[in-house]
Amino acid sequence: MTLEIQNLHVRTEDREILHGVDLKVSQGETHALMGPNGSGKSTLANTLMGNPSYEVTEGRILLNGEDLTEAAPDERARAGLFLAFQYPATIPGVSVANFLRMAVNAGREEPIKVKEFGALLRKNVDLLKITGDFTKRYLNEGFSGGEKKRAEILQLAMLQPAFAVLDETDSGLDIDALRIVSDGVNAMRDENRGFLIITHYTRILSYVRPDFVHIMLDGRIVREGGAELADELEAKGYEFVREEVAGSAG
Amino acid sequence: MPASRDSVGAHSAKPSASALVEERRKAALVAYEAEAVPTWRRSGFWTTSLRGLDLDALEPKRYEPGLPELHLGDEEHAALIVQRGASIVHAEVADDRITVMPLEQAVEEHEELVREYFAKRLPHDEGKFAAGTAAFWTGGVFIHVPANVQIEKPIQVVWLIDEPGTAQWAHTLAIVGENSEVKIREFFRAPDFEGQALHSGAFELYALPGAQVDLAHYQDWGRGEVYDLSTRRVEIRRDARVKWVPIHLGGRLTKQTLDIITAEQGSDMKHTGLYFTERDEHLDLFTTDRHEAGHTTGDTVWKGVLTGDSRASYEGLIHILPKAPEVDTYLQTHQMLLSPKARGDAIPSLIVEVDNVKASHGGTVGELDEEQIFYMMTRGMPRAEAVRVLVEGYFEQVVQRLEDPGLEELVRRRIAEKLKGAEDQVREFIGERAEAA
Repeated sequence: MTLEIQNLHVRTEDREILHGVDLKVSQGETHALMGPNGSGKSTLANTLMGNPSYEVTEGRILLNGEDLTEAAPDERARAGLFLAFQYPATIPGVSVANFLRMAVNAGREEPIKVKEFGALLRKNVDLLKITGDFTKRYLNEGFSGGEKKRAEILQLAMLQPAFAVLDETDSGLDIDALRIVSDGVNAMRDENRGFLIITHYTRILSYVRPDFVHIMLDGRIVREGGAELADELEAKGYEFVREEVAGSAG
Repeated sequence: MPASRDSVGAHSAKPSASALVEERRKAALVAYEAEAVPTWRRSGFWTTSLRGLDLDALEPKRYEPGLPELHLGDEEHAALIVQRGASIVHAEVADDRITVMPLEQAVEEHEELVREYFAKRLPHDEGKFAAGTAAFWTGGVFIHVPANVQIEKPIQVVWLIDEPGTAQWAHTLAIVGENSEVKIREFFRAPDFEGQALHSGAFELYALPGAQVDLAHYQDWGRGEVYDLSTRRVEIRRDARVKWVPIHLGGRLTKQTLDIITAEQGSDMKHTGLYFTERDEHLDLFTTDRHEAGHTTGDTVWKGVLTGDSRASYEGLIHILPKAPEVDTYLQTHQMLLSPKARGDAIPSLIVEVDNVKASHGGTVGELDEEQIFYMMTRGMPRAEAVRVLVEGYFEQVVQRLEDPGLEELVRRRIAEKLKGAEDQVREFIGERAEAA
């Protein structure tokens, strides 16, 4: 299976943010999408999931050849796409466990058996070193930044999607939490799953080594390479890329 | 004055309880007949009118004893008393420490208590329907919990209206003795019939020093044209605590005054309500968190959802009297519109007549958050399910305050049914907004 983004142009009400993005992620691969703030990374993540605030004016999103460009968010989810949000919504009155059960059932014909769900939840709670009454709390209500990120990764682990987009999951995490989240992601990496890790910083990439790195500037992907590109970026910074792009254009 | 005064000796100079009740009936009848059918108006668009009610066509209906099918949340109870139309048709007490009986009977058998508490906080002249209730009530419910007992299972009171044309004039008097703990539930039910009916109710609860009362009102008058015009008052004495959860899930027109009074030092209340209006229902609630003594605490949260062409107004007042310093209380009211044709109001207000208190209030009227819907859809849930889960979650804070699994389930199930019924219009409304966004 592949997730393919072809010549994607996206606008909000007042301006175009993505100016033709091409990106292809195959199952078994981990890609990093890097770029400074405002370069369009989160717009891409939201557009992939069908956020109604963003309008695709040109280009397509294909999942295994199936055109999802106009699909509703829930159809995309059921087709195998997942987004770990940078700023997830708070869902008052719905416990983490309840929410997870509904999400798991949304992708199934028959509701999951209580015992099976319990076992799956315990396994993933352990994987992410979650303790206390976390799964009984209302989803994201009163959660710290780190708890919210962990809740996102817990959902990822429970839903086991074919393709996962992680939008700035590393930001706001302390080093211990970053390691736990990274370990969780690594445990889910296999030949049946593709990852697109969106990040501003390189630090998560020293825990989750990507196969491919793409650098986004001003709504375009301007450089691509292997994991070593992230190292280069770490050493030289985004300004270096910006100058290089400006130089080659001139 | 009652005739008995001249004929009885100095030892019982006090009038009998039944004489007091009769005097009140007479005075109330005068007030009832003097008053026109009221219309309640407020600034803005809000009017609660009884224009549509054909009062003359309604009458008290009497029934033979017998226990109808009820489907309450709790099957077990400490006592169950059922009034159908104008008649108490069933009364059973499973716990011999408490007294639960028709109020008519208590007037004869519990003279002292009735004399001391009956209508203590319910003047007969607070408007036409309060007067009507005072004049015409029949049957009625009397609850007395003596001092120092803990009653685990709830005391259940059921008010039934079975058929159109019914006028039900209701009165409940509940007295909970010092340091006692009890749960009291009142249910208001009607099947879906065609035609009009009236429930005009009075409720009074006295929580004596140190008592702890868990009180819930569950109103679901069904799809018939039931008008509910009621006044409910709760008085909380020294160091006593009352948790009150009113649930409004149906009625053609509801106009209620719900007052909770922390009357002595150390008294504490939690007042948490919800309503769900649909079709052409009209709901007008006024609640008061009234602090008559210092060092008292309060916590009021109300949440509502409106669908269809319904109208719902919640007005919540915190009133702190001059002799009540060191009060700590707050009031929150939230209202969610799920239909473009529904109209609502949620108005918190505050009167503070003393320094050195903590009192705050806040209110919101809004729609579902598109960002939350999107988030849930990204987890595979279709829009309609996302909306359902969000609305149920919104109410959950109130539902859980019931702390009664059976009743909680009943409320959740009814909310889910109502949402299901409103699914098409909610989809249309939310869908339109998504298009526009």
